[in-house]
Amino acid sequence: MTTRDIVLVALFAAIMIVLGLIPPVTLGFIPVPITAQSLGPMLAGCIIGARRGAASMLLLLLLVAIGLPVLSGGRGGLAVFAGPTAGYLVGWVVGAFVTGLIAERFVREGQKEVLQLAAFLGAAVIGGILVNYLFGLAWLAHMSGKAFLEVSLASAVFLPGDLLKAAIAALAGRAVLAGYPLLHQRA
Amino acid sequence: MLNGLDIEGRTLLHRLPVRGKLVLLFTAAILLFLTSDLRILGPALAAAAVLFLSTGIGLREAFRRVRFVLFTVALVAAANYVFVSPREAAAVLCRLSALVLLAAAVTATTGIPAFMDEVARLLAPFERLGLVRAADVSLAVGLVIRFVPEILARYGEISAAHKARGLPVRPLTLLTPLVILTLKDADTIAMAIDARGFRRH
Repeated sequence: MTTRDIVLVALFAAIMIVLGLIPPVTLGFIPVPITAQSLGPMLAGCIIGARRGAASMLLLLLLVAIGLPVLSGGRGGLAVFAGPTAGYLVGWVVGAFVTGLIAERFVREGQKEVLQLAAFLGAAVIGGILVNYLFGLAWLAHMSGKAFLEVSLASAVFLPGDLLKAAIAALAGRAVLAGYPLLHQRA
Repeated sequence: MLNGLDIEGRTLLHRLPVRGKLVLLFTAAILLFLTSDLRILGPALAAAAVLFLSTGIGLREAFRRVRFVLFTVALVAAANYVFVSPREAAAVLCRLSALVLLAAAVTATTGIPAFMDEVARLLAPFERLGLVRAADVSLAVGLVIRFVPEILARYGEISAAHKARGLPVRPLTLLTPLVILTLKDADTIAMAIDARGFRRH
Protein backbone atom coordinates (compact mmCIF):
# COMPACT_ATOMS: atom_id res chain seq x y z
CA MET A 1 0.00 0.00 0.00
CA THR A 2 1.17 3.53 -0.73
CA THR A 3 1.19 6.24 1.92
CA ARG A 4 -1.98 7.64 0.33
CA ASP A 5 -3.72 4.25 0.69
CA ILE A 6 -2.79 4.09 4.37
CA VAL A 7 -4.12 7.62 4.87
CA LEU A 8 -7.38 6.75 3.08
CA VAL A 9 -7.78 3.61 5.20
CA ALA A 10 -7.18 5.59 8.41
CA LEU A 11 -9.46 8.48 7.40
CA PHE A 12 -12.25 6.07 6.54
CA ALA A 13 -11.91 4.30 9.89
CA ALA A 14 -12.01 7.74 11.54
CA ILE A 15 -15.23 8.56 9.66
CA MET A 16 -16.75 5.32 10.96
CA ILE A 17 -15.84 6.31 14.52
CA VAL A 18 -17.43 9.74 14.08
CA LEU A 19 -20.58 8.07 12.73
CA GLY A 20 -20.70 6.11 15.97
CA LEU A 21 -20.26 9.26 18.09
CA ILE A 22 -23.06 11.31 16.55
CA PRO A 23 -26.68 10.72 17.58
CA PRO A 24 -28.55 8.19 15.42
CA VAL A 25 -30.20 9.80 12.40
CA THR A 26 -33.85 9.22 11.60
CA LEU A 27 -34.93 8.66 8.05
CA GLY A 28 -37.76 10.83 6.81
CA PHE A 29 -40.21 8.05 6.04
CA ILE A 30 -39.67 5.47 8.77
CA PRO A 31 -39.65 6.16 12.49
CA VAL A 32 -36.73 3.87 13.40
CA PRO A 33 -33.42 5.67 13.94
CA ILE A 34 -30.43 4.02 12.30
CA THR A 35 -26.90 4.05 13.65
CA ALA A 36 -24.88 5.16 10.68
CA GLN A 37 -21.88 3.14 11.87
CA SER A 38 -23.35 -0.18 10.81
CA LEU A 39 -23.32 1.16 7.24
CA GLY A 40 -19.54 0.92 7.52
CA PRO A 41 -18.63 -2.24 5.63
CA MET A 42 -20.97 -1.49 2.72
CA LEU A 43 -19.80 2.13 2.49
CA ALA A 44 -16.14 1.17 2.75
CA GLY A 45 -16.42 -1.36 -0.08
CA CYS A 46 -18.46 0.99 -2.29
CA ILE A 47 -16.21 4.00 -1.77
CA ILE A 48 -12.59 2.92 -1.31
CA GLY A 49 -12.79 -0.58 -2.80
CA ALA A 50 -12.03 -4.12 -1.62
CA ARG A 51 -8.50 -4.01 -0.20
CA ARG A 52 -8.57 -0.57 1.37
CA GLY A 53 -12.16 -1.06 2.57
CA ALA A 54 -11.35 -4.32 4.32
CA ALA A 55 -8.18 -2.76 5.77
CA SER A 56 -10.15 0.16 7.23
CA MET A 57 -12.63 -2.21 8.89
CA LEU A 58 -9.71 -4.27 10.24
CA LEU A 59 -8.14 -1.08 11.60
CA LEU A 60 -11.41 -0.17 13.32
CA LEU A 61 -11.60 -3.63 14.95
CA LEU A 62 -7.97 -3.29 16.06
CA LEU A 63 -8.84 0.00 17.78
CA VAL A 64 -11.76 -1.74 19.49
CA ALA A 65 -9.54 -4.62 20.61
CA ILE A 66 -6.83 -2.42 22.11
CA GLY A 67 -9.45 -0.76 24.30
CA LEU A 68 -10.75 2.35 22.56
CA PRO A 69 -14.51 2.93 22.92
CA VAL A 70 -15.06 3.52 19.21
CA LEU A 71 -18.18 1.49 18.47
CA SER A 72 -21.57 3.23 18.56
CA GLY A 73 -22.78 3.86 22.09
CA GLY A 74 -19.19 4.08 23.35
CA ARG A 75 -18.66 0.32 23.24
CA GLY A 76 -15.15 -1.06 22.99
CA GLY A 77 -12.58 -3.37 24.47
CA LEU A 78 -12.13 -7.12 24.24
CA ALA A 79 -15.54 -7.73 25.86
CA VAL A 80 -17.17 -6.86 22.53
CA PHE A 81 -15.39 -9.81 20.93
CA ALA A 82 -16.48 -12.15 23.72
CA GLY A 83 -20.20 -11.53 23.16
CA PRO A 84 -22.56 -13.59 21.02
CA THR A 85 -22.73 -10.96 18.25
CA ALA A 86 -18.97 -10.67 17.68
CA GLY A 87 -19.24 -12.61 14.41
CA TYR A 88 -20.99 -9.67 12.80
CA LEU A 89 -17.97 -7.50 13.59
CA VAL A 90 -15.54 -9.98 12.02
CA GLY A 91 -17.97 -10.16 9.11
CA TRP A 92 -17.45 -6.41 8.58
CA VAL A 93 -13.95 -7.07 7.25
CA VAL A 94 -14.90 -9.79 4.78
CA GLY A 95 -18.16 -8.00 3.98
CA ALA A 96 -16.31 -4.83 3.03
CA PHE A 97 -13.90 -6.86 0.89
CA VAL A 98 -16.66 -8.65 -1.02
CA THR A 99 -18.66 -5.44 -1.44
CA GLY A 100 -15.55 -3.78 -2.82
CA LEU A 101 -14.72 -6.64 -5.19
CA ILE A 102 -18.18 -6.58 -6.73
CA ALA A 103 -18.31 -2.78 -6.91
CA GLU A 104 -14.85 -2.55 -8.50
CA ARG A 105 -15.78 -5.14 -11.10
CA PHE A 106 -19.27 -4.03 -12.09
CA VAL A 107 -19.35 -0.27 -11.56
CA ARG A 108 -17.83 1.78 -14.38
CA GLU A 109 -17.41 5.53 -14.33
CA GLY A 110 -18.99 6.18 -17.72
CA GLN A 111 -22.00 3.95 -17.04
CA LYS A 112 -25.60 5.09 -16.82
CA GLU A 113 -26.60 6.20 -13.35
CA VAL A 114 -29.19 3.42 -12.97
CA LEU A 115 -26.65 0.72 -13.81
CA GLN A 116 -24.16 2.14 -11.34
CA LEU A 117 -26.79 2.24 -8.62
CA ALA A 118 -27.88 -1.33 -9.34
CA ALA A 119 -24.28 -2.59 -9.20
CA PHE A 120 -23.60 -0.75 -5.94
CA LEU A 121 -26.84 -2.08 -4.45
CA GLY A 122 -25.99 -5.64 -5.49
CA ALA A 123 -22.51 -5.29 -4.02
CA ALA A 124 -23.86 -3.92 -0.74
CA VAL A 125 -26.52 -6.63 -0.44
CA ILE A 126 -24.15 -9.51 -1.20
CA GLY A 127 -21.14 -8.21 0.72
CA GLY A 128 -22.73 -6.17 3.47
CA ILE A 129 -25.69 -8.43 4.21
CA LEU A 130 -25.14 -11.97 2.88
CA VAL A 131 -21.46 -12.32 3.78
CA ASN A 132 -21.90 -10.41 7.03
CA TYR A 133 -24.80 -12.64 8.15
CA LEU A 134 -22.79 -15.74 7.24
CA PHE A 135 -20.09 -14.81 9.75
CA GLY A 136 -22.50 -13.37 12.29
CA LEU A 137 -24.75 -16.42 12.32
CA ALA A 138 -21.91 -18.94 12.38
CA TRP A 139 -20.52 -17.27 15.51
CA LEU A 140 -23.98 -16.90 17.03
CA ALA A 141 -24.66 -20.59 16.45
CA HIS A 142 -21.43 -21.48 18.24
CA MET A 143 -22.17 -19.18 21.17
CA SER A 144 -25.88 -19.80 21.69
CA GLY A 145 -25.72 -23.49 22.55
CA LYS A 146 -28.62 -25.69 21.63
CA ALA A 147 -31.10 -22.96 20.68
CA PHE A 148 -29.04 -21.75 17.73
CA LEU A 149 -31.75 -22.36 15.13
CA GLU A 150 -34.28 -20.20 16.96
CA VAL A 151 -31.71 -17.50 17.66
CA SER A 152 -30.66 -17.45 14.00
CA LEU A 153 -34.26 -17.13 12.82
CA ALA A 154 -34.85 -14.28 15.26
CA SER A 155 -32.02 -12.27 13.72
CA ALA A 156 -34.17 -11.96 10.59
CA VAL A 157 -35.86 -8.97 12.25
CA PHE A 158 -32.78 -6.92 11.29
CA LEU A 159 -33.10 -7.79 7.61
CA PRO A 160 -35.47 -4.93 6.55
CA GLY A 161 -33.25 -2.37 8.26
CA ASP A 162 -30.16 -3.84 6.62
CA LEU A 163 -31.74 -3.73 3.17
CA LEU A 164 -32.47 -0.06 3.77
CA LYS A 165 -28.83 0.47 4.78
CA ALA A 166 -27.68 -1.24 1.59
CA ALA A 167 -29.82 1.22 -0.40
CA ILE A 168 -28.31 4.19 1.48
CA ALA A 169 -24.79 2.83 0.95
CA ALA A 170 -25.48 2.39 -2.78
CA LEU A 171 -26.77 5.97 -3.13
CA ALA A 172 -23.87 7.37 -1.11
CA GLY A 173 -21.38 5.24 -3.06
CA ARG A 174 -22.67 6.61 -6.35
CA ALA A 175 -22.70 10.19 -5.09
CA VAL A 176 -19.09 9.92 -3.93
CA LEU A 177 -18.08 8.25 -7.20
CA ALA A 178 -19.56 11.23 -9.05
CA GLY A 179 -17.94 13.79 -6.75
CA TYR A 180 -14.55 12.26 -5.90
CA PRO A 181 -13.89 8.89 -7.53
CA LEU A 182 -11.58 6.58 -5.55
CA LEU A 183 -13.02 3.15 -6.25
CA HIS A 184 -10.98 2.22 -9.30
CA GLN A 185 -7.60 3.52 -8.25
CA ARG A 186 -5.28 0.66 -7.52
CA ALA A 187 -4.96 -0.06 -3.81
CA MET B 1 -11.34 12.95 22.68
CA LEU B 2 -10.59 9.24 22.39
CA ASN B 3 -9.58 7.88 25.74
CA GLY B 4 -8.66 4.26 26.37
CA LEU B 5 -10.69 2.00 28.61
CA ASP B 6 -7.84 1.12 30.94
CA ILE B 7 -8.06 1.92 34.65
CA GLU B 8 -4.88 2.89 36.46
CA GLY B 9 -3.77 0.56 39.22
CA ARG B 10 -1.15 -1.85 40.48
CA THR B 11 -3.15 -5.06 40.85
CA LEU B 12 -1.77 -8.44 39.79
CA LEU B 13 -3.68 -8.20 36.51
CA HIS B 14 -2.12 -4.79 35.82
CA ARG B 15 1.39 -6.15 36.29
CA LEU B 16 0.95 -9.26 34.15
CA PRO B 17 2.43 -8.92 30.64
CA VAL B 18 -0.12 -8.35 27.84
CA ARG B 19 0.67 -11.62 26.11
CA GLY B 20 0.18 -13.55 29.33
CA LYS B 21 -3.24 -11.97 29.80
CA LEU B 22 -4.29 -12.75 26.24
CA VAL B 23 -3.15 -16.36 26.52
CA LEU B 24 -5.07 -16.72 29.79
CA LEU B 25 -8.16 -15.20 28.19
CA PHE B 26 -8.05 -17.59 25.23
CA THR B 27 -7.47 -20.56 27.51
CA ALA B 28 -10.43 -19.52 29.64
CA ALA B 29 -12.58 -19.18 26.52
CA ILE B 30 -11.74 -22.72 25.42
CA LEU B 31 -12.23 -24.20 28.88
CA LEU B 32 -15.59 -22.46 29.38
CA PHE B 33 -16.92 -24.08 26.21
CA LEU B 34 -15.75 -27.56 27.20
CA THR B 35 -18.18 -27.90 30.07
CA SER B 36 -21.90 -27.46 30.66
CA ASP B 37 -21.68 -28.30 34.34
CA LEU B 38 -23.26 -25.53 36.39
CA ARG B 39 -21.13 -26.48 39.40
CA ILE B 40 -18.13 -25.27 37.39
CA LEU B 41 -19.71 -22.48 35.33
CA GLY B 42 -21.44 -20.80 38.30
CA PRO B 43 -18.24 -20.30 40.33
CA ALA B 44 -16.42 -19.33 37.10
CA LEU B 45 -18.88 -16.47 36.59
CA ALA B 46 -18.49 -15.36 40.20
CA ALA B 47 -14.70 -15.46 39.89
CA ALA B 48 -14.78 -13.45 36.65
CA ALA B 49 -17.01 -10.81 38.25
CA VAL B 50 -14.70 -10.55 41.27
CA LEU B 51 -11.67 -10.30 39.00
CA PHE B 52 -13.27 -7.53 36.90
CA LEU B 53 -14.28 -5.55 40.00
CA SER B 54 -10.85 -6.06 41.60
CA THR B 55 -9.34 -3.88 38.87
CA GLY B 56 -10.65 -0.89 40.84
CA ILE B 57 -13.17 0.07 38.18
CA GLY B 58 -16.18 0.75 40.42
CA LEU B 59 -19.58 -0.92 40.11
CA ARG B 60 -21.28 1.79 38.03
CA GLU B 61 -18.58 2.07 35.38
CA ALA B 62 -18.15 -1.71 35.31
CA PHE B 63 -21.83 -2.20 34.57
CA ARG B 64 -21.94 0.65 32.03
CA ARG B 65 -19.17 -1.00 30.01
CA VAL B 66 -20.55 -4.50 29.73
CA ARG B 67 -24.30 -3.87 29.79
CA PHE B 68 -24.80 -4.04 26.03
CA VAL B 69 -22.87 -7.28 25.56
CA LEU B 70 -24.53 -8.78 28.65
CA PHE B 71 -27.90 -7.80 27.16
CA THR B 72 -27.18 -9.85 24.02
CA VAL B 73 -26.00 -12.70 26.26
CA ALA B 74 -29.31 -12.49 28.16
CA LEU B 75 -31.26 -12.66 24.89
CA VAL B 76 -29.42 -15.80 23.84
CA ALA B 77 -29.97 -17.32 27.29
CA ALA B 78 -33.67 -16.43 27.09
CA ALA B 79 -33.95 -18.27 23.77
CA ASN B 80 -32.36 -21.31 25.38
CA TYR B 81 -34.80 -21.04 28.29
CA VAL B 82 -37.83 -21.02 26.00
CA PHE B 83 -36.70 -23.54 23.39
CA VAL B 84 -34.33 -25.90 25.20
CA SER B 85 -34.28 -26.05 28.99
CA PRO B 86 -33.70 -23.82 32.02
CA ARG B 87 -30.50 -25.77 32.74
CA GLU B 88 -29.05 -25.05 29.31
CA ALA B 89 -30.11 -21.40 29.64
CA ALA B 90 -28.26 -21.09 32.95
CA ALA B 91 -25.16 -22.75 31.45
CA VAL B 92 -25.13 -20.38 28.45
CA LEU B 93 -25.72 -17.36 30.69
CA CYS B 94 -22.87 -18.25 33.09
CA ARG B 95 -20.44 -19.29 30.36
CA LEU B 96 -20.86 -16.22 28.14
CA SER B 97 -21.13 -13.68 30.98
CA ALA B 98 -17.95 -15.05 32.56
CA LEU B 99 -16.12 -14.74 29.23
CA VAL B 100 -17.36 -11.17 28.70
CA LEU B 101 -16.30 -10.11 32.21
CA LEU B 102 -12.85 -11.70 31.83
CA ALA B 103 -12.32 -9.90 28.52
CA ALA B 104 -13.45 -6.62 30.08
CA ALA B 105 -10.99 -7.20 32.94
CA VAL B 106 -8.10 -7.58 30.47
CA THR B 107 -9.13 -4.37 28.69
CA ALA B 108 -9.45 -2.49 31.99
CA THR B 109 -5.92 -3.42 33.05
CA THR B 110 -4.04 -2.90 29.77
CA GLY B 111 -3.05 0.52 28.46
CA ILE B 112 -3.16 1.41 24.75
CA PRO B 113 0.67 1.69 24.41
CA ALA B 114 1.17 -1.77 25.96
CA PHE B 115 -1.41 -3.20 23.61
CA MET B 116 0.19 -1.53 20.59
CA ASP B 117 3.59 -2.97 21.51
CA GLU B 118 2.05 -6.42 21.66
CA VAL B 119 0.29 -5.86 18.33
CA ALA B 120 3.62 -4.91 16.76
CA ARG B 121 5.17 -8.12 18.13
CA LEU B 122 2.26 -10.23 16.88
CA LEU B 123 2.64 -8.64 13.43
CA ALA B 124 6.35 -9.49 13.20
CA PRO B 125 5.86 -12.86 11.43
CA PHE B 126 3.56 -11.21 8.87
CA GLU B 127 6.13 -8.47 8.40
CA ARG B 128 8.78 -11.07 7.58
CA LEU B 129 6.43 -12.47 4.93
CA GLY B 130 6.11 -8.95 3.50
CA LEU B 131 2.34 -8.83 4.07
CA VAL B 132 2.13 -5.87 6.40
CA ARG B 133 4.49 -3.47 8.15
CA ALA B 134 4.00 -2.95 11.87
CA ALA B 135 5.13 0.67 11.51
CA ASP B 136 2.34 1.26 8.98
CA VAL B 137 -0.24 -0.12 11.40
CA SER B 138 1.00 2.18 14.18
CA LEU B 139 0.94 5.09 11.72
CA ALA B 140 -2.67 4.29 10.77
CA VAL B 141 -3.74 4.03 14.44
CA GLY B 142 -2.08 7.38 15.14
CA LEU B 143 -3.79 8.98 12.14
CA VAL B 144 -7.23 7.79 13.26
CA ILE B 145 -6.79 9.19 16.79
CA ARG B 146 -5.46 12.44 15.32
CA PHE B 147 -8.31 12.94 12.83
CA VAL B 148 -11.44 11.89 14.73
CA PRO B 149 -11.86 15.33 16.44
CA GLU B 150 -11.40 17.08 13.10
CA ILE B 151 -13.99 14.93 11.34
CA LEU B 152 -16.37 15.40 14.27
CA ALA B 153 -16.00 19.18 13.87
CA ARG B 154 -16.68 18.78 10.15
CA TYR B 155 -19.86 16.86 10.97
CA GLY B 156 -20.86 19.81 13.19
CA GLU B 157 -20.35 22.21 10.27
CA ILE B 158 -22.37 20.05 7.87
CA SER B 159 -25.25 19.73 10.30
CA ALA B 160 -25.14 23.51 10.96
CA ALA B 161 -25.30 24.05 7.20
CA HIS B 162 -28.39 21.83 7.13
CA LYS B 163 -30.01 23.88 9.88
CA ALA B 164 -29.19 27.15 8.14
CA ARG B 165 -31.08 25.94 5.11
CA GLY B 166 -33.96 24.55 7.17
CA LEU B 167 -33.20 20.92 6.19
CA PRO B 168 -33.33 17.90 8.46
CA VAL B 169 -30.02 15.99 8.77
CA ARG B 170 -30.55 12.84 6.70
CA PRO B 171 -28.05 9.99 6.25
CA LEU B 172 -27.54 10.66 2.56
CA THR B 173 -27.16 14.42 2.66
CA LEU B 174 -24.78 13.95 5.58
CA LEU B 175 -22.65 11.02 4.39
CA THR B 176 -21.74 12.25 0.93
CA PRO B 177 -20.26 15.63 1.92
CA LEU B 178 -18.65 14.17 5.04
CA VAL B 179 -16.90 11.41 3.08
CA ILE B 180 -15.84 13.60 0.15
CA LEU B 181 -14.58 16.49 2.30
CA THR B 182 -12.62 14.10 4.52
CA LEU B 183 -11.08 11.86 1.88
CA LYS B 184 -10.07 14.89 -0.23
CA ASP B 185 -7.47 15.64 2.46
CA ALA B 186 -5.77 12.28 1.85
CA ASP B 187 -3.33 13.61 -0.76
CA THR B 188 -2.11 16.48 1.41
CA ILE B 189 -1.75 14.26 4.48
CA ALA B 190 0.10 11.59 2.50
CA MET B 191 2.47 14.22 1.08
CA ALA B 192 3.12 15.59 4.56
CA ILE B 193 3.93 12.09 5.84
CA ASP B 194 6.28 11.35 2.94
CA ALA B 195 7.94 14.76 3.23
CA ARG B 196 8.83 13.96 6.83
CA GLY B 197 10.26 10.60 5.80
CA PHE B 198 8.12 8.53 8.15
CA ARG B 199 8.01 5.55 5.83
CA ARG B 200 11.65 5.36 4.81
CA HIS B 201 12.69 1.83 3.93
